[in-house]
Amino acid sequence: MLKIAILGANGFIGCRTVEMFHLLNWAEVRPVVRNIANLARLSKFDLDGRVADGFDQSALALALQDCDVVVHAIAGDRRTILGTLAPTYQAAQEAGVKRMIYLSTASVHGQSPTPGTDESSPLSDRQVIAYNNYKVQAERQLLRLRRRGDVEVVFLRPGIVFGPRSFWISSFADNLLSGQAYLVNQGQGICNSIYVDNLVRAIYLVMMAKNVDQQAFLLGDCERITWLEFYRPIAMALGFDITQVPSVAYIPPRSGWSNRIKKMLDSKPSSAFLSLFPNKWRHAVRAARSALLAVPVRYHSSWEFPKNLPPPAPQATLEMTLLYQCQYKFSHQKAYQILGYEPIVSFPEACKRTVGWLTFAGFPVGETPDLKIHQT
Amino acid sequence: MVSSPKIVTVALIGCGAVSQKYYAPALNALGKTHLLQVRALYDPNEDSLARLRQYFPEACGVRDLAHISMQGIDLAIIASPPRYHAEQTLQLLKAGVAVLCEKPMAGTVAEAQAMIETAAKTSNLLAVGLFRRFFPATQTIHTIITGRLLGEIESFDFSEGGYFRWPVTSPAYFKKNTSQGGALMDIGAHLLDLMQWWFGVPTEISYTDDAMGGAEVNCLLHCKFAQGFTGKIRLSHDCQLSNRYLIRGSKGWIQWEVNNAGAIHLGFTGAQLALKSKIFQTDPGKPAPAAGKPCYNFEQSFASQIVNIINALQGKQSLLVPGEEGIKSLKLIEYCYQHRRLMPMSWLSDHELITARHLNQQS
Repeated sequence: MLKIAILGANGFIGCRTVEMFHLLNWAEVRPVVRNIANLARLSKFDLDGRVADGFDQSALALALQDCDVVVHAIAGDRRTILGTLAPTYQAAQEAGVKRMIYLSTASVHGQSPTPGTDESSPLSDRQVIAYNNYKVQAERQLLRLRRRGDVEVVFLRPGIVFGPRSFWISSFADNLLSGQAYLVNQGQGICNSIYVDNLVRAIYLVMMAKNVDQQAFLLGDCERITWLEFYRPIAMALGFDITQVPSVAYIPPRSGWSNRIKKMLDSKPSSAFLSLFPNKWRHAVRAARSALLAVPVRYHSSWEFPKNLPPPAPQATLEMTLLYQCQYKFSHQKAYQILGYEPIVSFPEACKRTVGWLTFAGFPVGETPDLKIHQT
Repeated sequence: MVSSPKIVTVALIGCGAVSQKYYAPALNALGKTHLLQVRALYDPNEDSLARLRQYFPEACGVRDLAHISMQGIDLAIIASPPRYHAEQTLQLLKAGVAVLCEKPMAGTVAEAQAMIETAAKTSNLLAVGLFRRFFPATQTIHTIITGRLLGEIESFDFSEGGYFRWPVTSPAYFKKNTSQGGALMDIGAHLLDLMQWWFGVPTEISYTDDAMGGAEVNCLLHCKFAQGFTGKIRLSHDCQLSNRYLIRGSKGWIQWEVNNAGAIHLGFTGAQLALKSKIFQTDPGKPAPAAGKPCYNFEQSFASQIVNIINALQGKQSLLVPGEEGIKSLKLIEYCYQHRRLMPMSWLSDHELITARHLNQQS
């Protein structure tokens, strides 16, 4: 049986990958996490979990010992996305790993890709969303490492990955409950969804496939759904009518004086300069910044009745606005032809399982909603 | 806090996360009031020992527990990993040292029973670190429930946990052969202690968890009590839960935010108004009943469990959580583990569930 190491095994995708590979006996699984506490979520299994920081090549090489395949599912900021690649690749090389599966994203093609976009479309690292650029740069960096090394690399480009513990689901549920949920364009844009089990199935297929070195695969569910359809089951489960969720437009942040001061003080050169001074001085600058930017408190007359003020209106981010404007459903034809990839869980079934997780996670779920989707 | 003419000498056994975060600052604060002096520290890990030495530079590092009694120690605080609790407690009790043992007091009920019997035989004090009983909030809830101020209890719903962030220093904490359990043993030790302190021992328990060969990360209990009411308990080291305890009675309800030592929410059936109550000490100096000084916060409550055992050593007070009380939650935990079933997990496929059920029974 093959042995597979999952880096970032405590995260949403990593966790489900460990779960499926272990319970379905697809491979011998070795979860790898950054610190000991991160082993907690996986301790329900009796597995050989290892602790290795994604930046620490020697720790990673030890953790990857005897593994045939490594899955890089480490999420994070720019530093993490780009800084963990070389240590992982070189550690894999040192440990004799044959293949590295990198979890990239369909966002390398942008949040609203041009119709017809596929794996062969050129990638740009000058997109408006910084995350897309980091992932493009990550793929390029791995290709450079591959030219000098022996470990094969394969890129998976899933769309909106959802399921138990998914940010897309839990944050929308939290926002619904706090009155901060929103849609853009009435949710009519296309959501390139992929249920997490379908992605894990693709990881399995890549592990088993031959002649896939340096290939990238776009991955998604079968169904073509809109954002409204994507979120409807979640809203219904929590007792909300999705059509009542406000549709908002993106408003670029104002570049007023307070924003300029905040930007200046938060900038890297400014932080580096402040670090030269003693702690007391730095605290004083931070306190002055907080005082300067504090929202003035409005004092009510004691004769006024208390008001039930509505929560502040939700604000669309640029990334969400672009996603909601998407008019193109990616094809996973290449994955189908080369890997034999077909989604193993339908969208309605995926929604049912995800709503079940909401109950499990303590969200106030009512009766199980009717999860029929309107295919467009 | 009560001052004492004789300074109690203390040994801290285990210098890991709980000692660094809680015991060291508490002992340090109490040391300044001349109530105690930390004379000995024990931990096989030199780094952990060095960190605690910063708090107690005069304490000696002990390599063998047998040397503790030679240091003239009155009280040993066992804050080592749970798998060592029973063995170390027994050794120290037999050496004539009083013990405050961190929760869970042992890995099994049999071990805990042996600890209690040894304490009795050697006439030494054995207290268990279930310090939430020292919170003014939990004490107020106890007063309200036992005084039937909520009327007949109808139900309760306790939910506690989130993504695990405790700074553990060894992967052994999560290994099947070295850990004593998962979320139930960790968080449940406190919660089940409070539950039984407030309501008594349940007559029926239904327990499910997600252990699949390892320790439970999530679990769900349903309890029924002789008076007819039921309670639901949900614990997690995985999902961010509400961290609220809700108790409903025929006359009203109480809601408590986990670890908020000094406040409760209280409402009355049918009333449109509710109390969001901060708790104060009563002021005995006033001619009429009045609220006086602020009550203890989380940290002070933690420290007051140490004061309680010092007072007990000096014969001024009885122990609030002796071994006989500490064993109660362990008995429930052991029962749950013996009767575990797999928790419903909607996202597992039929094939996965077959393996999951099999592994759950082996956990």
